[in-house]
Amino acid sequence: MAVTRRAALKQLLYVSAGMAILPACLQHTSRTSLTLKNISVDGDQEKMLAELVETIIPATTTPGAKELSAHLFTLIMMDDCYKKEDQQKWLSGMKAFEQASRKLNGHTFLESTPAQRESLLSAFEAAKDDKDDAAFFYRATKRLTIEAYTSSKYFLTKVDIYELVPARYHGCVPLKPITRKLA
Amino acid sequence: MSKDNTSLQNRTFDAIVIGSGISGGWAAKEFTEKGLKTLVLERGRDVKHLKDYPTTSQFPWEFPHRGQVPEAIQTANPVISRCYAYKEDAMHFFVKDTDHPYGQPKPFDWIRGYQVGGKSLMWARQTQRWSDFDFEGPARDGFATDWPIRYKDIAPWYSYVEKFVGISGNKDGLPNLPDGEFLPPLELSCVENYFKDFVKDNYKDRHVIYARCAHLTQPQQIHLDQGRGQCQKRDLCQRGCPFGGYFSSNSSTIPWAEKTGNLTLRPFSVVHSIIYDEQKGKATGVRVVDTNTKEMMEYYAKVIFVNAAAVNTNAVLLNSTSHRFPNGLGNDSGVLGKYFAFHNYRGHISGQYDGFKDSTTDGRSPTSAYLPRFRNVHKQETDFLRGYAAGFSTGRGSHTNTNGFGKTLKDQLFNSETGPWYVGSHMMGETIPKEISTVTLDTQKKDEWGIPQININVGYDDNDEKMLKDFFEQMTEMFTKAGFTNIHTGDSKQAPGLDIHEMGGVRMGNDPKTSMLNKWNQMHACNNVFVTDGACMTSTSTQNPSLTYMALTARAVDYAVQQLKKGEI
Repeated sequence: MAVTRRAALKQLLYVSAGMAILPACLQHTSRTSLTLKNISVDGDQEKMLAELVETIIPATTTPGAKELSAHLFTLIMMDDCYKKEDQQKWLSGMKAFEQASRKLNGHTFLESTPAQRESLLSAFEAAKDDKDDAAFFYRATKRLTIEAYTSSKYFLTKVDIYELVPARYHGCVPLKPITRKLA
Repeated sequence: MSKDNTSLQNRTFDAIVIGSGISGGWAAKEFTEKGLKTLVLERGRDVKHLKDYPTTSQFPWEFPHRGQVPEAIQTANPVISRCYAYKEDAMHFFVKDTDHPYGQPKPFDWIRGYQVGGKSLMWARQTQRWSDFDFEGPARDGFATDWPIRYKDIAPWYSYVEKFVGISGNKDGLPNLPDGEFLPPLELSCVENYFKDFVKDNYKDRHVIYARCAHLTQPQQIHLDQGRGQCQKRDLCQRGCPFGGYFSSNSSTIPWAEKTGNLTLRPFSVVHSIIYDEQKGKATGVRVVDTNTKEMMEYYAKVIFVNAAAVNTNAVLLNSTSHRFPNGLGNDSGVLGKYFAFHNYRGHISGQYDGFKDSTTDGRSPTSAYLPRFRNVHKQETDFLRGYAAGFSTGRGSHTNTNGFGKTLKDQLFNSETGPWYVGSHMMGETIPKEISTVTLDTQKKDEWGIPQININVGYDDNDEKMLKDFFEQMTEMFTKAGFTNIHTGDSKQAPGLDIHEMGGVRMGNDPKTSMLNKWNQMHACNNVFVTDGACMTSTSTQNPSLTYMALTARAVDYAVQQLKKGEI
C-alpha cells in the first residue's frame, strides 16, 4: 500500500499538469487522487486542503506547500498515523472550518480570495486552544504541512541540506555565522 | 526442499549452532575456521549483507510517513512499538507482537529480531569489557551464584574478538572498565569534554569516557578482508550499513564462515528441541520445524551450541525433555529458566549548558560518552547492591518558530535558530537475578509449530527502585555542579525487556547443583551442549553484554574443539 502511495505521489505532478489544461466544467469530480483507507475526503475537500496548505506556506520565489504535495502528505498521515477519534475530529473539523469561512467571508475557503483566506487563518491563529474541532483541524493540518515541507526533497536539498553520508564527525567546531535564507 | 531431509548423511554435521545473531555468528565463524562442518539454524529469513537492506540509502522524504510507524501497526503491536529503533526505516527487522505471542505474568517488553543476523543488525553497538569488579560481584555481595570465571580467563578472548570486530575506543586505564584492542576513537563534543574534565577534577572515582563501540574508525587488513570499510558516520546503523562500518553477523562472521566452505546456513528453521540419546548420554542433534513446510526434521552433530538469544535458548532447553531430563535438558539442578534478569534503563536526565555558544558539532556520531559504574565498586557503600553505568550525550539543539502562517511562517522555517547545548544521560543499572524471575513454558498454549508458548515472569524490585533514586540524585548533583541548567529527571517506568539486555536462566557456575553450565559454557550434565548467548549469564553487571557473549563464544568453541579432538565429547 505504501508503495502504491509513493507511486501516486510521483504521479501527482503529471496529474495536476493534466488538470490544468482541462476545461473547468470537466473538473467536476468528487474523487481524490489518493485511495484512503480510514478517512473519506472528496475531490473538492482535497482542493480546499491544497489551498489551505498553500495559504499556510505560500509559493514565493521558492515553492509553496501545494507544489510540494503537502496536502496529500496531510491526507496520508491523517489516514495512517492518527487515532480514529482524531481522524473523526479532523473530518468534522474540516466541515466546521468551512462553516467558519462562510461565516467570516461569505464564501467557502476555495471561493475565498487570498486576502479572505488569510483573514480566516489569522482568526484561527488568534484562538490559542484547539478544543473545538475546527481549531483541531487547522492545527493538525498546519503541523503536517510544516512536516511535509521541512522534510521534503526540496527543503532537504536546497534549504537545510540533509547529508545521507556525512563521512565525518567533528565534536567541536566554530558555529558558522548565520546567513539569513531567503524564503 | 526435502533433499536435505532424505539422506542421513546430508543431515549430519560436526557442529550445530542454533541461532545466527551476535553469538551464533561467532560460533559459526570459529567452528568453520577450525574445519568443522557446521550447520547454523535460523528461525527467520535470510538477510544478506547489502542486498537485503532495502532502506539503507533512502532519504527522509522517501519514507511515506517520514519514519513514523502507522497507527494501526502500533495499536496491534504495543510492545515492539515501544522500542526506540522500531521506526519506518527498520521495522522490517523486528518481530511484531502479533506474529509471535508470549505470556507476560508481569509486563515484559520482549524485543526480537527473527532473521539471519538477529539483533546484531539493529544493536546499539556499545562494547564495554567487564572487569573483576563485575565477575566477583555475586560472590562478594551474596546473590545469584559465583561466576566460574574471572577477568583473566576472558581477557585474551576479549582481545581476540575485538580485533576482528573492530572496536573504536580510548585507552582510559580504568580498573573497572579494562582497556581493549582499540581502533581510534571519534571525538567527544566540547561539552562532553568539558563534563569529562569537570568530573575528573571533582570526583575521585568517577570518569566520563568515550563509549567504546563496534565501528571501524580506521579499518585494518582483517576488516578489509571481511569486505568491510570505514564508518561513514551516517548514524543510520539500524537499517544495515552499506559500508559494513559497524559489526553485525551479516557483514562479518556469517560471510566469513561461508568463505570457509564449511558452513550450511538454514533459515526458516525453528528448533523444537535438542535430541538426547539416553544410551550415549549425549545430545545427538536437534529437531527442527521448517516454517515454510511445517515439516519436522532432525539434524545431527557431535556438538551443539545454543545461541537462540536468552529467552529462546531457555525455551529450547526447557522443551528438550527426555527420560533422563524430564525438566529440560541438563536441568538436574532445577535452576533452568530461573535467575532471569535484565538491565534497569528506567532513569534519564536532561538539561542544557549555556557555555560554548560559539561551537557546535559537525557530521553525526554513532556513539556518545559513557560513565562506567562508580557506585559500590570497591566496597558496599549504599543502601542498594551494585550500581549503574550511564550514557552521556550532548548536542546543539535548534529551534523553529512555528507561529503564524504565510510568508512570516515560511521565513521562520527557512531560518531556524540554533539553540543551547542540550545534555542528557540514561542509566544502565545492574539487576539482581532471582530464583522467582523466570522463563517458563506454557502448559496449554502452543505456537503454530506446536511448540509451547513462552511465559516471561520478571519484575523490578526494591533494589532497582533505590538505584533509580540514586541515579537521579547523583546525576542531578553532577549536572548541577557542572553548571548545567533546566535539569529534568524522568522515570520511563518501562517494563523490563525494553533494555534489550535480558540475561540468565541457563547460568554458569562452579556447582552442578546450582548452575547449568561450567566455566567453559558447557552443560554440567550433557557435555556436548554449550550455551554462550545471554542465557549463560550468572549476573548482569552494567555493561552492554554483547561483547562478553562474543568473547565467551569464541572461548567455548576453542575448548569444545579441543575436547572433540581429545575424544572427550
